[in-house]
Amino acid sequence: MVEERRILYEHLDVPDINTFDVFRQYDGYTRFEKAIAEYQPEEIAQMVLDSGLKGRGGAGFSTGEKWSFVPRDIEPRYLCCNADESEPGTFSNRYVLEKNPHLLIEGILICCYAMGIETTYVYIRGEFTLGKKMLDAAIKEAYEKGYLGKDVRGTGLNIDIYTHPGAGAYICGEETGLIESLEGKRGQPRNKPPFPAVQGVFMKPTVVQNVETLCNLPFIVGNGVEWYTEMGPTYADTRFDPPKPDANTGTKLYCISGDVNEPGVYELDLGLTCTELIEVAGGLRGEEVKAVIPGGSSAPILTHYELDTRLDFTSLTLAKSMLGSGGIIVMNETRNIVDCLLNIMKFYAHESCGQCTPCRWGTPWVRDIVQRIADGNGRKDTITRPKFGVAENGRWGDTGETEEIYEDLDLLESVANNIANVDTMTWNTICVFGIAVSWPAVSYMRKFRPEFEAAIREGKLVTLPVAEATVPPEENYAYQQRFIPKEFADL
Amino acid sequence: MALIKLNDLEIEVEDGTNIVEAAREHGIEVPHYCYHPGLTRPANCRMCLVEPYGPIPGAPPGTIGPARQLATGCTTTVRTAPPERKLEDKYDAIVQTDSPRVKKAREDVLEFLLVHHPLDCPVCDQAGECDLQDYSYRHGHDKSRYIEIKNVPPKKDLGPDVLLYSTRCVVCTRCIRFAEEVSGTGELGLVHRGSHDEIDIPRSHEGTPIQLLDNKLAGNVVDICPVGALISKDFLFKSRPWFMEKANSVCSGCSVGCNITVEYKADGVYRLKPRFHEDINQHWMCDDGRLGYHYVNSDDRLQLPLKRVDDALTPTHWADALTVIQEQLSEVEAEDIVVIGSAQATNEDNYVLQQFAHDVLQTTQLGLFGQLPGEEHKFPQFTIEADKNPNTAGARTILGAANGNVVLEGDALWEKVSGAKVVYLVSGAPERPLGDAEKAALERVEFLIVQDILPSEVTQLADMVLPGTTFAEKDGTFTNSTGWVQRIRKTIDPPGEARVDWEITQQLANQLGGEMNYRFAGEISLAIAENVQGYADATHQNIRDAGIKLAE
Ligand SMILES: Cc1cc2nc3c(=O)[nH]c(=O)nc-3n(C[C@H](O)[C@H](O)[C@H](O)COP(=O)(O)O)c2cc1C
Ligand code: SF4
Ligand code: SF4
Ligand code: SF4
Ligand code: FES
Repeated sequence: MVEERRILYEHLDVPDINTFDVFRQYDGYTRFEKAIAEYQPEEIAQMVLDSGLKGRGGAGFSTGEKWSFVPRDIEPRYLCCNADESEPGTFSNRYVLEKNPHLLIEGILICCYAMGIETTYVYIRGEFTLGKKMLDAAIKEAYEKGYLGKDVRGTGLNIDIYTHPGAGAYICGEETGLIESLEGKRGQPRNKPPFPAVQGVFMKPTVVQNVETLCNLPFIVGNGVEWYTEMGPTYADTRFDPPKPDANTGTKLYCISGDVNEPGVYELDLGLTCTELIEVAGGLRGEEVKAVIPGGSSAPILTHYELDTRLDFTSLTLAKSMLGSGGIIVMNETRNIVDCLLNIMKFYAHESCGQCTPCRWGTPWVRDIVQRIADGNGRKDTITRPKFGVAENGRWGDTGETEEIYEDLDLLESVANNIANVDTMTWNTICVFGIAVSWPAVSYMRKFRPEFEAAIREGKLVTLPVAEATVPPEENYAYQQRFIPKEFADL
Repeated sequence: MALIKLNDLEIEVEDGTNIVEAAREHGIEVPHYCYHPGLTRPANCRMCLVEPYGPIPGAPPGTIGPARQLATGCTTTVRTAPPERKLEDKYDAIVQTDSPRVKKAREDVLEFLLVHHPLDCPVCDQAGECDLQDYSYRHGHDKSRYIEIKNVPPKKDLGPDVLLYSTRCVVCTRCIRFAEEVSGTGELGLVHRGSHDEIDIPRSHEGTPIQLLDNKLAGNVVDICPVGALISKDFLFKSRPWFMEKANSVCSGCSVGCNITVEYKADGVYRLKPRFHEDINQHWMCDDGRLGYHYVNSDDRLQLPLKRVDDALTPTHWADALTVIQEQLSEVEAEDIVVIGSAQATNEDNYVLQQFAHDVLQTTQLGLFGQLPGEEHKFPQFTIEADKNPNTAGARTILGAANGNVVLEGDALWEKVSGAKVVYLVSGAPERPLGDAEKAALERVEFLIVQDILPSEVTQLADMVLPGTTFAEKDGTFTNSTGWVQRIRKTIDPPGEARVDWEITQQLANQLGGEMNYRFAGEISLAIAENVQGYADATHQNIRDAGIKLAE
């Protein structure tokens, strides 16, 4: 049985840990003090790079590498803490804000010290009123105790933190949408490049980091890189010569919800499998796992064939999905995937910022198609067409058989792929919201096609038994490289 | 200069040029909506996707291929690359604008643009000059796969001259950016989100407008709207664009001299549109000029010479009018005559007028008449000048062309007028109110000849009224406040018996025994070039559409 490893969440349940004094009793701010006393800013940045820490907000980009893009000769530089946590199925940042806000402040202090930053904005999801209240109170305390403000603890550092509430838009979690919103404009993502690291808040170099990412910093500094890299797998990416280490180090706050007996946030080493995770969360509620969403609603879905997929950045990428925000939603045999996709598409159609054409008008279109299928109005082309595939002569071509065309399924796939193509991983949109739309749309449809076909055929939602509902991996290119290939063996 | 390979063309463009412009210079169309050369580039329509080439990661050095992602041609600029970064050893960039991938992307974006579109071209003012029509025709699908319900956002009245048909809007945000960047008035914004995005003005919760789109540059948003979403009330349902003729001209509304296109049919002028001029008006013009053409089509236009008979102005024919004037003029001494030119008239009109005064009447007493100064309006990227005449600078110089000519203005002029026996006043500014002193001065004149286009306070006092022409009915040049000499062109015929102003003057001169035989305005421009200082190059042949800037 896998055990939780609580690091970020270790003291979460300690009474009054949100107050400075109690936080202090549990090593609070000592890691920041250690950073200042023992390391130069550049050394901290190097430690973060060496730790292999990857961003926990969604993109999973190496934090150290991101910091290295920030031009250190341009003043001022900013830190933006992304606390807009709005990905469906994700709820881990919220607990930090509500229960242990001083940990975030300490993370921010370390980042500010490492990057020579004086001003931090924490962009908090508007609905997190309690979280904002708690963080504001903690910030006030930190000012009083001299950990924020002018000349922090006599070190000569000036560090200020401002909190800013969002107004209820998912897209303001996208880093440039967040920056626009923070600047007082409509929350619409910017074209990249320039990336925020070069031109972010007020067009100045900006580090944008998720709450969880920042909360890792005190522990990396406090316990050392070696301690940190022992947690989670590091793979060798043999596409490079010499093989490049591909770190999935540290713990992850997995938000497990759906059909499990004990849903909640679990802090676990990266690299556990889906099955293990379901076990940790009290086991499956129901008979069988039908599907697992591994990284928030944007992530392509995993089928029961893929439950041995390790839930880390690399493995999930190879499985043509992503760890994203770590929001894991488990579905049992009673769930209908068409209905599930409809739910998700309603969300995306509502949340598209509407800036660029394919996403603005494509996303509601996808929703409408799924809605129509779910309502039993899906179109099945009555004409059959020659089925293409591997023909008798062993060549690709007309197989001599015919197949029924589900016009709306073709349309669904085509429209989604026109927003962002999941096969070539190219998109015609400004931000990757586009791919967050087409990924679920195409993967649900390809992997659970029988259920979509049934809905069209029968004219109503039909929940098929798991085995029947799922397309086996051998038959479908939606799956790819399910397992980590040999050459990606653990280092 | 950067050398780029565009499809199979090898072209040189200036550093910093984007792909849309580079291609346009060489006759290749890269369709685009949100990009407008006069505005910032949000790259939100995704219509201009092109395929840039570059080194392939991981491949042997020197191998190049298409980039993984298509790039937006509006924001992709080319620059001279250092030698080691040249592609195929010489190119600074290699770009495909017609590869299968690009074509597919265009089709896809166009399909999305049309899913909620009402396709009401038959009743849409923009049809015929619509980027959505044109690009759909050239780059799009022939049918739609969309069978869901379309959004039907409301039609909105945004301001005095602008209507918004929200259903047709492609949310390119050009209009918003114009109001922010060029006029700086910021009345426009987006409301709602996603597929419900709508352009709107600030409104209260009940929907009543808090601020209208009523700045003096507002009309430009209609021009830059790539589709028929923003529509001018002035032009609404008046004509199909393809039924109108077009002529390049210059606005006569103020001394900026915005370059315009006059769109007209045989029965009148239908609309004015700004035409790009880098140094003068960029892409814009103001609404005073844009909507100020209506007097041209007015039913009140003077169509026949009018003679004062028993205190009333009564129509007569040209021969009679000229004879009467001849009689009057031959009775007075040269020093009792004042000839007044107009800042509303062309350089050619004024040149002939002063030649008539100097050579035939042998008077050197000239004056300058015109519209009274208005208010100056400054915008971040545009200024409407206070001088409401298109040709003050030109008229001033040209009236004073001949030796000894004195051009009087203001009080000095009215003083002179009050002592004159015959005054020949070319007006062209019928709306100009007369002050008491001015009125008194004109009343004292024994025989007042007024050449104008509409009945006015001046024609009220005249003893003889000669029907002249507007900027739309004649050829000629205006000199703007910054010294640009620019062409206006004849579009429609003058109403009734009205004649081009310099022709009237020339006829009068010949009636009085002068010898003038200019056949067309261009010929006068040759005389101007010869005789007026600074105008040596300003012949019609040289000026063409670009205009000529006088040496300072
Ligand atoms: C549509 C969209 C929504 C996002 N929402 C969030 C979010 O709610 N919280 C978050 O931390 N990152 C979110 N991200 C990821 C951010 O853009 C960014 O990658 C992240 O904040 C960087 O921080 P990290 O490197 O620490 O993960 C979102 C990205 C996209 C494209
Ligand atoms: S992809 Fe969607 S969310 Fe992103 S900028 Fe475009 S319209 Fe907005
Ligand atoms: S905007 Fe263009 S495509 Fe749309 S109705 Fe008008 S003319 Fe037709
Ligand atoms: S109204 Fe016209 S200019 Fe404005 S966003 Fe819509 S299409 Fe663009
Ligand atoms: S013109 Fe380039 S994206 Fe709109």
